[in-house]
Amino acid sequence: MILELGEFTRVEGNGKAEVIIENGEVKEARVKIVEGPRFFELLTLGRYYWDVPDLEARICAICYLAHSFASVLGIENAFGVKVPEEIQLLRELGLIGEILESHSLHLYLLVAPDLFGYPDAIRMASKHGEIVREGLALKAFGNYIREVIGGREIHGINVKPGGFGRYPTEDELEKIDKSCDALLRFAKRAVNIFATQEVFGAVPEYHVATDGYLYGEKLIASDGERFDYFEHIEEKSLPYSFAKQSHYKGSVFMTGALSRLMVKSDRLTPIAKELFEQHKEKLSRGYVSLNNLAQAIELVYSLERAKEIVSTLLDHGIKGENVPIEPKEGEGIGYVEAPRGVLIHHYRIDENGNITYSNIITPTALNHALMELSLYEEARKQYGTVDENFLKHKLEETVRAFDPCISCSVHFVRL
Amino acid sequence: MKLGVFELTDCGGCALNILFLYEKLFDLLEFYDIKEFHMASSFKEHDHLDVAIVTGTVSCQRDLEVLRHARNYSNYLIALGTCATHGSVQGAVEGKLRDKLEKVYGTRANTMKALDPKPVVEYVAVDFALPGCPYDKMEIYQLLLDLAKGVEPIKKDYPVCIECKLNEYECVLVKKGLPCLGPITVGGCNAICVKSKLGCIGCRGPLPKEANPAGEFEILKNLGYDEEYLRRKFKTFARGELRW
Ligand code: SF4
Ligand code: SF4
Repeated sequence: MILELGEFTRVEGNGKAEVIIENGEVKEARVKIVEGPRFFELLTLGRYYWDVPDLEARICAICYLAHSFASVLGIENAFGVKVPEEIQLLRELGLIGEILESHSLHLYLLVAPDLFGYPDAIRMASKHGEIVREGLALKAFGNYIREVIGGREIHGINVKPGGFGRYPTEDELEKIDKSCDALLRFAKRAVNIFATQEVFGAVPEYHVATDGYLYGEKLIASDGERFDYFEHIEEKSLPYSFAKQSHYKGSVFMTGALSRLMVKSDRLTPIAKELFEQHKEKLSRGYVSLNNLAQAIELVYSLERAKEIVSTLLDHGIKGENVPIEPKEGEGIGYVEAPRGVLIHHYRIDENGNITYSNIITPTALNHALMELSLYEEARKQYGTVDENFLKHKLEETVRAFDPCISCSVHFVRL
Repeated sequence: MKLGVFELTDCGGCALNILFLYEKLFDLLEFYDIKEFHMASSFKEHDHLDVAIVTGTVSCQRDLEVLRHARNYSNYLIALGTCATHGSVQGAVEGKLRDKLEKVYGTRANTMKALDPKPVVEYVAVDFALPGCPYDKMEIYQLLLDLAKGVEPIKKDYPVCIECKLNEYECVLVKKGLPCLGPITVGGCNAICVKSKLGCIGCRGPLPKEANPAGEFEILKNLGYDEEYLRRKFKTFARGELRW
């Protein structure tokens, strides 16, 4: 018998799952990404490097800046360009805006209705309006940062190799500084709400993240390895899904907020660190559902870190100078933490500045195998003890904990 | 009024942008009852709809079925965003489908029934087409309010350049020689990219009439841009629609 999970709701993009049951026993679970292929790597081939980050942004709206930045970093690394601290901090600020926007979308609008027993946040708002509005306020603030740094809430083209089209003004930075304090109370409340959620899903063998908190030069894993993706991560195509599947050293692994906390908690800001310590025991159990709690802690981290960055920038004053770029032949990889985990853009560029090779690996693809394992384990635990509707609901909640971004996951190429 | 939001293959931005209306979304809910919005809700009621919003391109068999459903069960169908109206970036990828599948997935087999990405408007008649990658969120707000109140919605038919002038932005094409598609792109975004001192990349699709892509092509060629580069740039959001 095949238990079909119709198209997932309250996730980004179009996906389905099926659980295969034989003789009353759960045999296998498959996650089928049914969103059509989008051929992004082919789109960028032959294109001039300058235009590529704007095209790559279109891979995903929820994390467009992560794609633009990963693209920019890959291109700069190919040309051997290093940008000064001011640009690095502004980039980090943009990624923080995206974490705030994306995590609050996920936690308040997509997951919270499960906790409170509603089909969506709009219907939940009649009784729990305050919580929904707090989520919307965090989200709007994240989007404000995305607009200031990225040029638009969605798909701005302000992020460029070597710098930005336009630099933020002092007023804009001060406005960010002020909102951080006001919103911190909401983020702390989110941690309390999600700390009560029960655990479900599988426990990954490894966690993988970038070596800096939001972007880096290499990947790191919970076994202490520091590596380039092609050394230990293997991808394969599946006959039943438009997304590929990956393994780390042959094992199922995880990437995302929980992974970042597990391998990089030493970098957390003061209050976030305190909250992490407080919930460390629970988080260390490693169930994928704990990704929700980890995201809530990252809301706190993001607000604290945004404040630090803004005060450094205001102290130094914004210079607004781009690093000049001379195209030359080269190869480079950009590693960025999208809100839902490691994002990799890898390019080769010719002496005229045109792209000759491109490979993109997204967090949802990296988590694909763990998503299947989680459904399998959850189905085994619940099958036969609960009714079918409840089981389906539980399985959908399990998928949701990954905060999957299906649009991102449907295009891969190695040429 | 009963409203459904249907997402085909896309980046999710056009559906997400509706949620970015924040408090204004609650204003709309005074007129609309959301019967399906799969990104935002697990609630689904499959009966007749007054308004169906469709985002994305038709890129696989599943998309086609969803689109047919949305068309057959609604009075008004809105193709929302450049994917749905013109094909957007994925519509611009050249080559035969099987070759593309082979390059991406290592096999020519098409088990998941992929199709060449095409805009919604090529498959069904639409009542309103609102371009933008993504569109300005106030546009959909206005359109839905107009529909609810029985007011004839206004269509934008002027270039991005007009909005640069209104905002007093320096012309990046004339002053900096940047390859800006503002003159041949339909306005409505308030020239937001020129605010960043960068050239418009044409994300709202070509101006429906009085556009002069040949003239724009000539100007940019004279500024020293390579023809192949310009050809691709012109095509990025418009598939084959711009001719010169
Ligand atoms: S038109 Fe642009 S923003 Fe809208 S869904 Fe398509 S790619 Fe995303
Ligand atoms: S300026 Fe051009 S590229 Fe930018 S949003 Fe407007 S139409 Fe799109």
